[in-house]
Amino acid sequence: MANIPASVVRYIQSMWMAEMILTYLHVDIQGRLIDWGGYPQHYGLIDLTKDKLVVEQVNFLDGFLDITHTEVLQYLNIGGSRYINVHIVPLDGSIYVLLFDVTDEHNKQQKMQQQVNELSILTYRQSQLLQELETTRKKLSEEKKQLEQAIKLKSNFIATLSHELRTPLTSIMGYTKLLDDAKQANDYETKYLDSVKRNANHLLSLIDNVLDQTKLEIGQIKLHSNNCNVKQLLADLKSLFLPIAQEKNLLFDIKISNNLPTQLIIDELRFRQVLINLITNGIKFTDKGFVEVEIAWQNGRLDFTVTDSGPGISSESQQKIFTAFHRESTAKTLPGAGLGLAISYHLVELMGGQLSVESSPQFGSNFTGFISANSVQFPNNNVNSISHTNIKVLLVDDSIDLRSLIELYLENYGYAVITASDGQEAVKLALQTKPDIILMDMQMPVLDGYNAVQQLRAKKFTKPIIALSGSNIEHDRKYAFEVGCNEYMTKPVDPENLLNTISKIIQ
Amino acid sequence: MAILQKKICMIGDFSVGKTSLVAKFVRQTFSDKYLTTVGVKIDTKLLKLPDGNQVKFILWDIAGSDSLTTTTASYLRGAAGFLLVVDGTRLPTWNSALNLRLAVEKQIGSKPFIILLNKADLQEQWEMNEQAIEEKTKQGWKLLTTSAKNGMNVEQAFLELALLMT
Repeated sequence: MANIPASVVRYIQSMWMAEMILTYLHVDIQGRLIDWGGYPQHYGLIDLTKDKLVVEQVNFLDGFLDITHTEVLQYLNIGGSRYINVHIVPLDGSIYVLLFDVTDEHNKQQKMQQQVNELSILTYRQSQLLQELETTRKKLSEEKKQLEQAIKLKSNFIATLSHELRTPLTSIMGYTKLLDDAKQANDYETKYLDSVKRNANHLLSLIDNVLDQTKLEIGQIKLHSNNCNVKQLLADLKSLFLPIAQEKNLLFDIKISNNLPTQLIIDELRFRQVLINLITNGIKFTDKGFVEVEIAWQNGRLDFTVTDSGPGISSESQQKIFTAFHRESTAKTLPGAGLGLAISYHLVELMGGQLSVESSPQFGSNFTGFISANSVQFPNNNVNSISHTNIKVLLVDDSIDLRSLIELYLENYGYAVITASDGQEAVKLALQTKPDIILMDMQMPVLDGYNAVQQLRAKKFTKPIIALSGSNIEHDRKYAFEVGCNEYMTKPVDPENLLNTISKIIQ
Repeated sequence: MAILQKKICMIGDFSVGKTSLVAKFVRQTFSDKYLTTVGVKIDTKLLKLPDGNQVKFILWDIAGSDSLTTTTASYLRGAAGFLLVVDGTRLPTWNSALNLRLAVEKQIGSKPFIILLNKADLQEQWEMNEQAIEEKTKQGWKLLTTSAKNGMNVEQAFLELALLMT
């Protein structure tokens, strides 16, 4: 250090560097190494030669020898693991290069910077992932919209198809009933008629199931809860299924708890549908033994169980049994589309309940469920007891077969029937003849039922109008009420149901 | 005859792969582990040019940043050219490179440079905007897609920079 000028020594002393290993190089104005001191080998600087160009020996100094004021290069690594701070100090035409070991300080800084940078990269990757998630979400949302649109189109297609199938089916079923009622047919003819009836019923049930499943998929089924005579409903079911069970030599019974109220507020149609599905399945799959229904009610909850002694369901199949179009391997040879249980499951859910299955192969199955059902006291009316002799009904339908059929029913019960084949004719006749009630088909040529009802209501026709429609879609039902209908019935119309509805409305 | 000596600076945002490119070029090594550079690492490499001449590169691998600080600016003194490194899987490092180029030019004047779109081995995470790249190419900029991991265009990048400087 003896060769270092006092000013450079003061410069060194101005810094806190007790731990630093100092090395210096003295370079002349031509860039030649004049002298050095300290520990150059500590930094890998070996074989230094006086009077030789310093940049050829210490190459990182290239470009720094023409400076006019002190320059500091921080944290230089010139090989190995050591880091140095280089101070280049011009003095009296020559340059002093001071090297200080700052490895420890560098390592501390490096550790901190490493954490900052890693965090920054992590944050960036996270934000990219979130962006990707958002893009995926948007894409899925768009696909969902398209899918919903496709389902809507499918639903409309099925609704239209259903209407087209239901109208001729109504005629087939109605005329088959009339032929059957005539009781003049011989054995063969009766057998043929039974076959027509059975297949027509099967076709109708299939259409209804496909339509129900479609509507459940898009949430279009709405409940119509009303007062229901549950005991009557169960009695009907018993008389419906007992002969079918007996044909297979099965025991069939419906057991009702003592406290079951006569009237409950439920959607009768849908509850009946669920029980029919479960009982039909029980009878279909059971070859020997029994099918038994148990009904109990307590505190606004109607419990039901359908038990059979059939072949049972494997635990694997029980997982899928309420899935649409699932069919048991044992059912492949039996008729059905695998929709009944899926529909029942969703209907029970809609009715505020649950449906489950317990079963073991060889020991039969037990379908248990419940729905919400409040009890009411309801006056018992005998709607069919009144006289219909003076009641005038205007029946409007473009199908001559259907018109004739319903006309026949109504006349049998004493109604005076006037008919029209389209909406325009119906409006004209209604205003002229002033009927007590109108039965209006909704899809007709010239003027459809919706427009005809609208025109009648606009012309102050105040008597009840019952819509008869092939569409089972909620939107159509709602629209019919909006334009002024008092009731909405879907084809094929059950004659007794129609007569009861007419009686109830005109009363 | 004395060998020509050139100071080259590696510039770019942090974690774009500057140190890895130098390690691959000088020592033919690569490590997946990220170790940030604080300060500057100086390496040398003798490069043989196509005309048979040799050039000694003094490589200044400068700590990554999205802008030029007073400390890093002082490292640039005497640089004959620079490699501007971009992480192809992080779009913001492209913008950092464009800003750094302007800052470097302001500091040491116009010098030859090449933009290296690094980490080409991570194509599934590639975020580069082809249109922006094409635009720069049309402006006469030299761009190379590189990978310090598999060595793609690494030697080529330094050689092309050497040719731009001679």
